[in-house]
Amino acid sequence: MAENGETWGASEAELDPVEYTLRKRLPHRLPRRPNDIYVNMKTDFKAQLARCQKLLEGGGGGRGQGGCPEIYIHGLGLAINRAINIALQLQASSFGALQVAANTSTVELVDELEPETNTREPLTRTRNNSAIHIRVFRVTPK
Amino acid sequence: MRSPSYLPCTLLGRRRLEGVEPAALGPEGLWLCRGTPALEMSNAREKKHAKKMRNQPTNVTLSSGFGAVDERGVKHHNGNEKSFQYQKQESHSGAPQHQQPKSTHVPSEPCMNEQPCKSQCRGEKGKGQAGWRGGHQGAAREIPKYITASTFAQARAAEVNAMLKAVTQKSSNSLVFQTLPRHMRRRAMSHNVKRLPRRLREIAQKEAEKTEHQKKEHSKNKCRKARRCHLNLLLEFNRRQKKNVWLETHIWHAKRFHMVKKWGYCLGESPTVKSYRASYRAMTKHCLLQDLSYYCCLELNGKEEEILKALARMCSIDTGLTFAAVHCLSGKRQGSLVLYRADKYPEEMLGPITFIWKPEGGTSTTPVNRKLWLWTHPTLKQDILTELKLVCQCVQPPEAAASIPEVVLTPHEEKSHIKQTENCKKRKRESDGEKNTNPVKKIVGDGTRNPFQPYSWTSSTTGIVVSDFTMEMNRYRLIGPLSHSILTEALKTASVYTEVEDAETVPHSWWVEACKNPDSVSVHHRQEAFFELLGGIASPAEFPAGTVLGLTVGDPRVNLPQKKAKALPSLEKCQDNEKVRQLRLEGVPVECAHSFIWNQDICKSVTENKISEKELNQMRSELMVPGSQLNLGHRESKIPILLIQQPGKVTGEDRLGWGSGWDVLLPKGWGMAFWIPFIYRGARVGGLKEALIHSRYKGAPSIPDDFPDCPAGILFAREQENNLLEKYKRHPPAKRPNYVKHGTLSPFRCPWGQLTRDWESRITTRAESLVSPSCSWANVKSDPGREDLCVVEDEQESKLSCEAETLKDKPGEPEEMMDTDSPGAAVAGDTTGEGVCGNDSGGTKGTFCVLRSRKLLKLLAAWCHPVARRNRVAIQASRMYQQQELTRATCLPILRDYPRSLVWVSLSLLKKGNPELHTMICIPSKDDILLLNEDRLYGGPQESRHSDPFKAKARKQKEKKTEKEQKQGGQHCAIVCAEGTPGLWPGSLPDITGHCSRTLLGFVTQGDFSLAAGCGEALGFVSLTGLLEMLLSQPADKRGLVLLRTPASLQYRFARIIIDI
Repeated sequence: MAENGETWGASEAELDPVEYTLRKRLPHRLPRRPNDIYVNMKTDFKAQLARCQKLLEGGGGGRGQGGCPEIYIHGLGLAINRAINIALQLQASSFGALQVAANTSTVELVDELEPETNTREPLTRTRNNSAIHIRVFRVTPK
Repeated sequence: MRSPSYLPCTLLGRRRLEGVEPAALGPEGLWLCRGTPALEMSNAREKKHAKKMRNQPTNVTLSSGFGAVDERGVKHHNGNEKSFQYQKQESHSGAPQHQQPKSTHVPSEPCMNEQPCKSQCRGEKGKGQAGWRGGHQGAAREIPKYITASTFAQARAAEVNAMLKAVTQKSSNSLVFQTLPRHMRRRAMSHNVKRLPRRLREIAQKEAEKTEHQKKEHSKNKCRKARRCHLNLLLEFNRRQKKNVWLETHIWHAKRFHMVKKWGYCLGESPTVKSYRASYRAMTKHCLLQDLSYYCCLELNGKEEEILKALARMCSIDTGLTFAAVHCLSGKRQGSLVLYRADKYPEEMLGPITFIWKPEGGTSTTPVNRKLWLWTHPTLKQDILTELKLVCQCVQPPEAAASIPEVVLTPHEEKSHIKQTENCKKRKRESDGEKNTNPVKKIVGDGTRNPFQPYSWTSSTTGIVVSDFTMEMNRYRLIGPLSHSILTEALKTASVYTEVEDAETVPHSWWVEACKNPDSVSVHHRQEAFFELLGGIASPAEFPAGTVLGLTVGDPRVNLPQKKAKALPSLEKCQDNEKVRQLRLEGVPVECAHSFIWNQDICKSVTENKISEKELNQMRSELMVPGSQLNLGHRESKIPILLIQQPGKVTGEDRLGWGSGWDVLLPKGWGMAFWIPFIYRGARVGGLKEALIHSRYKGAPSIPDDFPDCPAGILFAREQENNLLEKYKRHPPAKRPNYVKHGTLSPFRCPWGQLTRDWESRITTRAESLVSPSCSWANVKSDPGREDLCVVEDEQESKLSCEAETLKDKPGEPEEMMDTDSPGAAVAGDTTGEGVCGNDSGGTKGTFCVLRSRKLLKLLAAWCHPVARRNRVAIQASRMYQQQELTRATCLPILRDYPRSLVWVSLSLLKKGNPELHTMICIPSKDDILLLNEDRLYGGPQESRHSDPFKAKARKQKEKKTEKEQKQGGQHCAIVCAEGTPGLWPGSLPDITGHCSRTLLGFVTQGDFSLAAGCGEALGFVSLTGLLEMLLSQPADKRGLVLLRTPASLQYRFARIIIDI
């Protein structure tokens, strides 16, 4: 469930790699609502787009008629581009029925440094990564 | 049958010439002589005859075959005897007198007496053929002049007896009503005897009684109601768990799972409902619950330095952090490592374990003595325990041990938590006079444990006490992101007693005591705060790996919801950002890792003071408002538990944190009380199969399957081979793959020892044959033709040698194979397997070991990465580690140090392909890689079909045997059967690396289509020598490409080797 395609931070050189092994942890996130979509770099772009469309149109069958009036597309790090791309594609293909509103934030990521020797304590380091949260919602034509 | 009137005249004439009366030619004899040449009696007929004669008394002979000829020849002089012979035959040939042909008569025979003459005539008729044949011998037949009545009658009596016997005794296996002709059969005959003809009723009755007896002798003596009565049920349950230990959730599992008896336990294999994908989803998105109570806990109690000193001999820092790691030693994290026999690293592995140190009690206890829990798999326990005793120099059980076993077996659960049957029914029965003096106790803990066997050992020199805590605790595993919300909803921390009370009056005196201590109260509050924070964290993977959190919780049954509902994380809990952040960064502090579960006495009292389910329900029913919350007040139990975070997938790059969760440790007796609340919060339950899937997707080796170098792993491989072979043999040869033709030498096991040996010899022979320093190897490598030649030569040689071997082995080997293969041997393997395994391991232990040195693995992992422009990470990493480049020179020292080693690798298929158990990992040839470069959709090369020399050989042998049989007349059937199973390679294997067109590198031990990755994924071992050899020969951007081929297929598939560390 690696939703992030985050790149490596630049400041890795300080620690001796012989003494520590780096382990990345999952980014903290809020509980997932049904209308949250976390974009990653692994899944096919088309598939993710289709998923969003399905949510909005409610064609999935199980979700009732109208689908969600709004969905949130989250992208972290490298996936920001793709999240934006998906949102714009959705908007373009909707003939003006959908609007987007973007929010950006900073996500704190935790790297764990596992010691290789018995005498050292495990360390944690935090680094920040940017994230985007795009709200895609339906506008009623006036 | 035809009458003699149709007799061809030539035959008649001949007969007359020979002086045999035509009357002697009975219809049977005639038919015989016309139908088949009686002298060359076929085999089948002989058998038929033998069958016919089975029920005959010895003095009676049937009128068929040439036996009569001899008889006649012998008895020919005694007229009396001879006549008897004829009489007998007459009775069996059974030709009625009226059938006697009219056209024939007795012209020349002087008839003295009417009676004997008649009978004689009949006799002659039956005996016609023999008489005729006798004519060839030139002896004319004489008819006796007289017979003695008494002997005659005796003979008749014997015949009649034999006939009666044959009639009454049924020779077939069928039931009576099955022997009836179809038109006489009736519906439900097997149930109702009266539907049978009256003459058969008696026999049928007997049969029916017999089968009924065989079916159920037990339990039918009592009616179902009596059997289901609580007391009897309990007795029955206790009896049934004498042999294999039942977990506390056994009954629950038995209703919903396929149960297997494994490792001395009854365990749930997998749910009976379809749930493969659902369990995967539960692990990924929801929560999967597993009962791991069968894991064994061993406790070491003693001085810290002593324990560390002793245990340092059993592990090595090479393989990762040991017991002395700072964060584990403080008790705030769980550690895991691999144990070896003392001072034997890197050989003689014992098994992987996890361990927790008891946090140093800062409050009152003496800080010197520490406790350490080792959690092992039950298959590894015995080895580890004996080694621990050896290392700690423990010999005799301590004095205390004498009393502790009583705790285990003598029902210490004297009081409330046992389901004593005190209802009125029981009293009634007591009054009936049944003996119920000592009420039956429900077995809690290990039911198979011998009370007199010590389970705690102490050492006089080091002062360490080693104790075996098997089944003293329950261990549940929650996997998946929702495990947080399930835990926080199901468990409520215990309330603290504020008012000081008399400890004696309250059942939970230990908690009253603890509440008096302000330190422990503050610790409890802090633990409570941390526990509450858990609900605000979306996934257990956000925690530091192995975080330990101690807790004291109230009875989880009290706030059981009315209906099963999925626990979902609530948004409100997620608001407390700063604290959550702290928790994620630092983990739980050491103080909060403290739990009362470490204290045996407290655990015991908690187990004893459990309010039984019945009482609880009674109280519920007495509530003023039905369905409202039950308030037990001070009577509510306080249960100390321990939560341990289990890191999911930590290695590799994708699916980080997959399969992370929490382990819950509970004191025994409380299993079901926690199990049901978890399930009511929406946890799905998995069995052993789900555990295997979990470890596979995590990329972790599962115990004991994937530890081929430990005794349990060897045993497991042996059992698995037996099972697979049995399954294979159940199919007819045409309906199962011929593995010889597929070029699969060992489809049912992985010959690790031979693989490593073959690779070693391969390298050495090549080095010798070249007689050049190692630097020139590269040249050889670049020359593709030579290498191939070399391989071909190897192949031919090996084939020749193997054939010679198999020829040699033929008489002895196959029989041995048959022995070990038979199901009986597999069952008996438990007893004999030990010795066999010992021998085997003695052989293999010296030969191979699994590489677990982290440094080397890291090096290999970097080397396995293809060095392409896109793979920045790998380059960066290698630069960072200041790694050596992959060259001959750097490989040599590794090969020297680890000549026969295996490396644990994970493989992911590039395109198509679904790896299975024992799939072969092979080295692609240069052409394969070229083809892959040209065509991106290239599926992979194919192995050409091998010939099966054994089949032809077996056929030839069979033919020979049949010829011989015909000559010698049977007897050798048993020897013919002693041939290896067709379709499998008999005898010892030839060089396995070079047997097929692609060189063999290793085997897959776990493989399937991965729902997580969306393609085939496999885990397995490869030979270190082979791996280095392959990496050296491959171009840098295609490094780590291998071919996989399943045992029953000729198709190779491309896969990439990844070494995760």
